Amino acid sequence: MNDKAQLHTLEGLAAAVLMTMTVLMITNSTMMVTPQNEMAIDVQLKQMASDALTVIDIVPKSSAQSNNAPILHNLTACVASWDVTEEATYPVNTLDNLEDGLSYLLPNVLYNVDLAYVENGNITQKKVIIKGSPGKSAVVARHFVTLTNQTVSDMNGTWNLDDDELRVVEVRLTAWKV
Amino acid sequence: MESLRKDTKGQWIALSGLVLSLIIIGLAALANQAAMAGYHSSNAALEFPKENIRELNLHTRDNAKIIKDLSFEINKTSNESIPDIYTQLFKNYSSQIEKLHAIHGETVDVSLVSINSTNGTYGINDIDIIFVNITYNDGRTHYESKPEVIEVGA
Repeated sequence: MNDKAQLHTLEGLAAAVLMTMTVLMITNSTMMVTPQNEMAIDVQLKQMASDALTVIDIVPKSSAQSNNAPILHNLTACVASWDVTEEATYPVNTLDNLEDGLSYLLPNVLYNVDLAYVENGNITQKKVIIKGSPGKSAVVARHFVTLTNQTVSDMNGTWNLDDDELRVVEVRLTAWKV
Repeated sequence: MESLRKDTKGQWIALSGLVLSLIIIGLAALANQAAMAGYHSSNAALEFPKENIRELNLHTRDNAKIIKDLSFEINKTSNESIPDIYTQLFKNYSSQIEKLHAIHGETVDVSLVSINSTNGTYGINDIDIIFVNITYNDGRTHYESKPEVIEVGA
């Protein structure tokens, strides 16, 4: 019987076990799924939310749009059209034209929208779109618009501003995926 | 076992097995480094307030024009000069934007430096450039634009 090179056989076996264990360790490591990890998705979602507000903000005035366009009003016009006496209560939203634009730009994403503004020196925050309770990985994008009496009356809003008054409104979009 | 100890052949094979193992261990270490880099870059991208600073900047630029138009509207029914009206409106804007940032723990300062006119008069077509100082600080990131030059000409 040929009993030579037994050590070689053992070495071969040891090397195979070592390589297999190393490959298993790498593939099982949770750190290896970085490109798909939660934080990378958050970064993408935050950019998408921010871009959605930016796109709505630069839409030309409604008169220049065709009625078939998915986004009819820009962000300033949407906010100007809001009835300040109507705060959203789930599932009734009070800023439909903004919701139309956001649902078109953010498919498969849930979001809430709040408006914050300074009134008589105090901060007022109102909910205008509620889609649910934000998950723990929710991201927030913010955009500012400035309203004047002219922009409000053009959109039949009820902000009740004086002719010499301007109001800065923060549009806060909280977005998350389920 | 005696025959195993005496067999000294195949040393190259033993050595190459060792080298291969070391290479694989090295690659595993590198792969983990890449994973850590991915984590930290995602974290940095989330923490850096790029969009907030851009938005503050762009909104201030938009407002410089809105305030100019509003100043001329108010001037039609007021005795105050256009630069005075502009300054008051800008102050009002600064106060609002500073409060709205303060609720997020961010310190923002937007102040008007000067209103510039091509020929020294302040007609609707004369005011062309506004100088504004913008400062943003959220505790980690500090941004300054002094001055931000804003063209508001027709």
